[in-house]
Amino acid sequence: MSFEDWYRQDRLPHIFCAGCGNGTVINCTLAAVEQMGWKQEETIFVSGIGCSSRASGYILADSLHTTHGRALAFATGVKMANKGLHVVVFTGDGDLAAIGGNHFIHACRRNIDLTVVCMNNQIYGMTGGQGSPTTPLGCLSSTTPYGCAEPPFDLCELAAAAGANYVSRWTSYHVKELEKAVKAGLETPGFSFIEALVQCPTAFGRRNKFKQVADHVEHLRSHSLLKAKRDRMIENGEQIPAGMFVVGELTRRNRPAMGVKP
Amino acid sequence: MKLAIDENRCKGCNLCTKVCPYKIFKEGKKLNRKGVPIPELDRPERCANCRLRNLYGRQLCGVCQLTCPDQAIHWIDEEPYEPHKVAIEY
Repeated sequence: MSFEDWYRQDRLPHIFCAGCGNGTVINCTLAAVEQMGWKQEETIFVSGIGCSSRASGYILADSLHTTHGRALAFATGVKMANKGLHVVVFTGDGDLAAIGGNHFIHACRRNIDLTVVCMNNQIYGMTGGQGSPTTPLGCLSSTTPYGCAEPPFDLCELAAAAGANYVSRWTSYHVKELEKAVKAGLETPGFSFIEALVQCPTAFGRRNKFKQVADHVEHLRSHSLLKAKRDRMIENGEQIPAGMFVVGELTRRNRPAMGVKP
Repeated sequence: MKLAIDENRCKGCNLCTKVCPYKIFKEGKKLNRKGVPIPELDRPERCANCRLRNLYGRQLCGVCQLTCPDQAIHWIDEEPYEPHKVAIEY
């Protein structure tokens, strides 16, 4: 059995644009879920609104497609009602950081036994490319036509500061690492947060000089900085180049978790 | 095992041409039913998973399948007694 058996074959092909990284992240997540050996009846996929949140509809398991930003609130309810269920939340950056920011912080604080996969495409893709809280400085979008002037959110640091048990960040280029990170997140009791940076050729790429999908993936590859290397650079007093983002397992700890089946 | 591309699902992003370590996928000219040029296979018998999957009894490499955002790449078993080429590596 491979992760392909977790897809609803009759719903494919999905509606994502050509070259969208969301499909890759769903593949990696399902491969990790498959390795856990969970039954389809005991796994629930919850998602909010947005491109990334279409994901739960393509998966052959129980799923909840909920209101904008409230995926974590619904997932908390599912987990509290039945602690035996395995809950995986798919969410996007606009869903999680913008409208659902409050739910996100408090889900981290409560340390509920969820796994959250955030597909961060750094823009609101579905509604026409508006700037989101994670749009990098200077990037163009339909609401920031002269370049984004606001500093972006670092979701991983936010999750770590709010108290999540497991935090890691990878991109859609690092498929094997992402798969391992999701698996580690699924194994961890308590809140685990995996941020996956994805390419968005339609809304983000065409305004920001990544018209080809491969250019954007190459940008993700070349601008990712491994955590070990980052720590080494700080130790040596080197300057971290601007525009780089840290990838790797950022936090792993063992705070008391809520909703773990005794 | 042999590689297969699902023509109905492929959207022509050509990410598979970038990730394969053997460069098996090539940008193709043939259009599918939706008018999207789908990638071609260049000597697919070199694929590590095709050659050694049954010997090792587990998935090898598989980066193209994980990366394909449209779930278009998969492996299928050969027919019994189907002739196939053997890759020689130097």
